[in-house]
Amino acid sequence: MTTTQTKNAFLKYSHTIGICVMDGRGFMFPVDTTIGKDGRMHTVSRAYVPATAQLRITMYDIDSEYYGIYGGYGEGLGEFRWPTGMAADAEGNVYVSDEQNNRINIFSHEGDPIQHWGELGTGEGQLMGPSGIAFDNEQNLVVADHLNNRIQKFTKDGTFIMSFGNTGEDHLRMPWGVCVGQDNSVYVADWANDRIAKYDASGSFVRGFGTSGSGDGEFKNPSGVAVDGEGYIYVTDWGNERLVILDEDGNFIETLRGQATISKWADEYFEGNYEEAEPRSRSNLEPDAGQFGGDPHEESAHIEKFFWGPTSVKIDDSGRIYVTESNRHRVQIFERTR
Amino acid sequence: MVTTSPDIKLMAHLLRRAGFGSTKAQLDEYLSVGYEKVVDGLIDELDSSRIDDALVRRYFPDQSVTHDTSGAGSYWLYRLVSTDSPLREKIALFWHNVFATGYTKVTNGKPMSDQLRMFRSHGLGKLDELLLKLSKDPAMIIWLDNVDNHDGAINENYGRELLELFSMGVGNYSEDDIKECSRAFTGWSIANSDYIKELAIRNSIMPYGKLAWRYEYKEDDHDDGEKTFLGRKGNFNGEEIIKIICEEPATARFISRHLYHFFVADEPPVPSWPYKDPQDMEAIAILEKAYFDSGYDIGEMIRVLFKSDFFKSETCHYKKIKSPAELAGNVLRTTEEFGTPNIRISERNSQVTFMGQQLLNPPSVEGWHQGLEWIETGSLTERVNFASQHLGDLSKPGVRKIVENVISQAGDSMSGEECVDQCLSQLGAIQTSDYIHNTLIEFAEENGISGIDLAKDKDTAIQKISEVMSVVASVPEFQQS
Repeated sequence: MTTTQTKNAFLKYSHTIGICVMDGRGFMFPVDTTIGKDGRMHTVSRAYVPATAQLRITMYDIDSEYYGIYGGYGEGLGEFRWPTGMAADAEGNVYVSDEQNNRINIFSHEGDPIQHWGELGTGEGQLMGPSGIAFDNEQNLVVADHLNNRIQKFTKDGTFIMSFGNTGEDHLRMPWGVCVGQDNSVYVADWANDRIAKYDASGSFVRGFGTSGSGDGEFKNPSGVAVDGEGYIYVTDWGNERLVILDEDGNFIETLRGQATISKWADEYFEGNYEEAEPRSRSNLEPDAGQFGGDPHEESAHIEKFFWGPTSVKIDDSGRIYVTESNRHRVQIFERTR
Repeated sequence: MVTTSPDIKLMAHLLRRAGFGSTKAQLDEYLSVGYEKVVDGLIDELDSSRIDDALVRRYFPDQSVTHDTSGAGSYWLYRLVSTDSPLREKIALFWHNVFATGYTKVTNGKPMSDQLRMFRSHGLGKLDELLLKLSKDPAMIIWLDNVDNHDGAINENYGRELLELFSMGVGNYSEDDIKECSRAFTGWSIANSDYIKELAIRNSIMPYGKLAWRYEYKEDDHDDGEKTFLGRKGNFNGEEIIKIICEEPATARFISRHLYHFFVADEPPVPSWPYKDPQDMEAIAILEKAYFDSGYDIGEMIRVLFKSDFFKSETCHYKKIKSPAELAGNVLRTTEEFGTPNIRISERNSQVTFMGQQLLNPPSVEGWHQGLEWIETGSLTERVNFASQHLGDLSKPGVRKIVENVISQAGDSMSGEECVDQCLSQLGAIQTSDYIHNTLIEFAEENGISGIDLAKDKDTAIQKISEVMSVVASVPEFQQS
């Protein structure tokens, strides 16, 4: 597969946050991250099914300072079963979609549960597997209603506004991540169609980016999408286990395969666990990718620094890029070079 | 009782043994193809499974990584109930029991799942190629300590089991052969072995989840000296040892007996094989001949087996007890609960464990003892409850479909006997004893099926038929194969 990186790299690796733990500081199969008030980061762990203790949201910041966890498995207030997408509103409240309970959960900046809304169904305003979510510029919530193959827009308290994407030749198939551009256009990781779909603010289809494949400008089951202030499009090309960057016209810019290093939390673990640290220091965790038959999933299973299960990409106000990897229980952070 | 034609009985028998049973609709489809062609299709088809791995990985990141038996087992169960290539999964179950590798020591679901994938790909191929893959399989290398088998300091664990449990059986080799075999497999290891061993012992998920494992040949740790193995001399490496093993009549006998045990009729537990002859020597001889005629090809042996008189004979119908995985596969394929991956598969996998078979975690290197050992007081209750609960659940699309089919075969009303016969037919032409048949009819009558006007009170009829289905699922013949 292609692992192109231009000579003058567009992104540079910054650092990694995370560690695989079943409770507390760390993650267990994280699927999304959102950056809330004061730069506080919230990452939701989908965990085993069913595994009540591991399923949680972890709060921390860019310097790996840990602020605690909230949420848990169930159907009550502040609980979820298949958490998938996250978004923070202007006040810093955190919204979490739940594909199994078919609703949106709302938490305060500190993780206190506030309310939830949403019901199962195929009608307008009903949900069947809500996946990625994002706020538009008017603080309405855009939801990838993935088993209804559509995008729906709601007010913050769940009042239906509009739906689109499930009709016509260019209809969506099992959309996952979503994001909103500066002009309120909506970008969708159109998972089963192997492309990014763009809609204008009224919900009219504008264009698709990419075709099926693993070459430059091609996608295989994209999971997440983010757009920066200059219109650059960042895609977690989940089936190809990579991050792809396009310009606003869809021209290919760069592909990254992942460059994770030992996180601060992992470093602290190894300081107290010499029995693992010592043989690890003698191990080769970057074997030649050519021995895995060209299967990105297998390559990522063996090469620890590579993205494995990149389920979401997010951008903060300063333009930093965050890639959440479900299978490696961490977030890799990148910065623009230009 | 409705008379079922021999063709239907035979096809239903084949589908129970080569797969996970069938509904009447599936049976009719196979009957239109014909027995011989169905056998060939089951063996020759590539893994054309409609299982969408991407969808499983999207919904269940834990099954994507397969950290442990929960994720890896659930993923396998989903394959069992969804595959269009049932014999591929059946043969994976077969080898999983013969080359039994357990999570308790491996403590990593990924290499276990990788091993199963290898069984699916190579389990119907040539034995020598399969044993070579097995000897390089990272889960096996950790499970039987070949990672500690060094030049000048052999560990006999893998060499011993390769001969005793994986190919020839006790009594066909000497202790010296075990030592020489072990010498030949020195250096057959895994990459990062010190780190992997430490992580496995500690069952560590740090820092970024469990690592995938890969085979590595360590030439400087291989004993390249001359060896004497089963009367042959040479500077044997593992490849030559496997070639010699596969040439042995004892291997033909051992593999033939295993295939008979799994696909035809329960034999006594493997440890007693050196002391007890096979129950059908003629059948074993036919399979041994197929082994050598085909160049050790397991698929060809199975083709001969399924087309043989000893397999077709009604004397071996219902003579095997379904393993928990086979029972669950049968039930869940019938209920069609898993048209797409959903959250309940983990719960079903736990139920298979409660019935006595934790997938990917056999109790020892001998695998699970089969036959009557599947049935003890606790597990029998779990088995009966599992089958009855799911096959009587009208919320399951497959159950609803079957009940509708039963009604469509009736006129304005239905006798208890008609109801029972239709349920047995719809569940895959199940044949019961007269005693069981009469008991079922008695239940159906007492339950009130014959008093219902089907045109006017269809909802009540649907409910009553589902209750009969639930009871049918509890009879011995449904628990048997």
